[in-house]
Amino acid sequence: MGHRDQSGALLRAASETASSTAPAPVSAQPPLLEMKALSKRFGPVTAVDGFEAAIAPGEFVTVVGPSGCGKSTLFNIVAGLEEPDAGSILRFEGRSCHAHELLGKVSFMPQRDLLLPWRTVIDNAIIPMEIEGQPRKASRALAREMLPEFGLAGFGDQYPHQLSGGMRQRVALMRTFMFKRELMLLDEPFGALDALTRTMMQRWLLEVWRRHKRTILFITHDVDEALFLGDRVIVMSARPGRVKLELKVDLPRPRHADLVTSPEFIGLKRIVLEAIEEEAMKSFLAPGATAPQTDTPE
Amino acid sequence: MSASTLSHPASAPGGSSSLKLLLPLLRLLRGLAILVAVFALWEALVVVFAIRPYYLPRPSVIFAALWQTPAPYVQGFLRTLTETLIGFASGAAFGIGIGLVFFRLRALRELVFPLFIVSQTIPVIAFGALVVLWFGNTLFAKAAIAFYLTFFPVTVNTLLGLESVDPRQEALLRSFGASPRQLMMRLQFPTALPQIFVALRLASSLALVGAIVGEWFGDTVGLGVLLLQGMYTENVVSIWATLLVSAFLGTTFYAVVAGAERLFVFWGAEQ
Repeated sequence: MGHRDQSGALLRAASETASSTAPAPVSAQPPLLEMKALSKRFGPVTAVDGFEAAIAPGEFVTVVGPSGCGKSTLFNIVAGLEEPDAGSILRFEGRSCHAHELLGKVSFMPQRDLLLPWRTVIDNAIIPMEIEGQPRKASRALAREMLPEFGLAGFGDQYPHQLSGGMRQRVALMRTFMFKRELMLLDEPFGALDALTRTMMQRWLLEVWRRHKRTILFITHDVDEALFLGDRVIVMSARPGRVKLELKVDLPRPRHADLVTSPEFIGLKRIVLEAIEEEAMKSFLAPGATAPQTDTPE
Repeated sequence: MSASTLSHPASAPGGSSSLKLLLPLLRLLRGLAILVAVFALWEALVVVFAIRPYYLPRPSVIFAALWQTPAPYVQGFLRTLTETLIGFASGAAFGIGIGLVFFRLRALRELVFPLFIVSQTIPVIAFGALVVLWFGNTLFAKAAIAFYLTFFPVTVNTLLGLESVDPRQEALLRSFGASPRQLMMRLQFPTALPQIFVALRLASSLALVGAIVGEWFGDTVGLGVLLLQGMYTENVVSIWATLLVSAFLGTTFYAVVAGAERLFVFWGAEQ
């Protein structure tokens, strides 16, 4: 129990520093996406309850939390696929809006690559542009130019079943990037990859993000990944999901692989881990806490 | 084994390497060899056990009959083929179309689908009599019976295929702003295609059954007519000859449909 108290104290200290630093980007630029009192119930289950966050343009925000904490519900709302409950406030580009108005405004990448097996790499990548009604030929040419950047040079005319898991994921990412929207939502995009491929993909994603200058909201359950990638880490509480901790990651960019062993990184990691562990214990001990299927499809 | 022979021509769509071109050729030759071996064995058995031609004529006699008077068989083949094709095409088109409509309009589906099921419980013979009353002894009467046998499995499989779409895939395309029409063209229909082809293969043989049964209600040309005539005159060789021609028609048609399937559903390995 003594350990628990200690970590609580540490957490409080962390939240204080977080709250003192978090408003800074908000006041500098109007947030691209703002969520207040965001809630969602599925029958008797409250998936998200009073979630609050603001994301500034160009920011890379990562969200971590124990499994079944409502992360995916949160993402479905921001992607426009699910309406939050009444009383929730959702503002996009400074305008309050319904979730369904976000359809076609946010580029969304789910956990699975979801490539269409009857389309080649190029044709999978241009799906969003096709749906927007852009001419196919120009889209294809654009996609072909982007292939090398996504490590897919020479694979443009292959079909998904001919590719490895890492490559398929890169095709899915390319598809997300080709849908040119300010806000990108990535839902555990590297969750299914092996550790080595994963760290390579993380560094590569930072590189692509730096060049393309998009705003990214990134879900993960990997603390290392969240800290390595993000400008800011939002730790979600156990179900019902709300913000447990918001932590600014003041680590220099560009970030290199050896960053994860630096004392600053370890220090931040300890704070996040303790917050998550506390929540994970809660959801583990809660009666009937096996996460409902709505939140963890895979 | 005749099926494997005949299904070959479409087995390698767009073979690029020489090996890819050679392989189907070898398969064709192997199939032909098996076919020849079966006929040789048949011939030998009939001779060795002195089986009376009434029960099983020698294949050489059957082929001789086909060779000497090919006209009725060729005419019958073409006529039955036409009926089968019209019935199959209309049944497939109607089945797919109505499957799409049922998928979109659930209310209509609940209203009309039970009627479809009832229609399928009517024996094709009973239905055949009615069709002859409506269409007379025309080509369309036979095509109508072929249609009646084909449209239902196609409808059911189209619906099944459309409903097997991964909801996450649908969510992804919707997040890109896809309209219902775009969802159908780019996701739902292609997803249903493998399932639809399963039904089309089944329908290809059912359409032939429908056409032949239809001819029994009265006509002067067709494989079904030849079968009836052979039965009434106890012309055993003619019955067997017609049987072989029907088998040839059935397998060829099936092979063409299976070939089209391999061409259009080339990604099948993944599902």
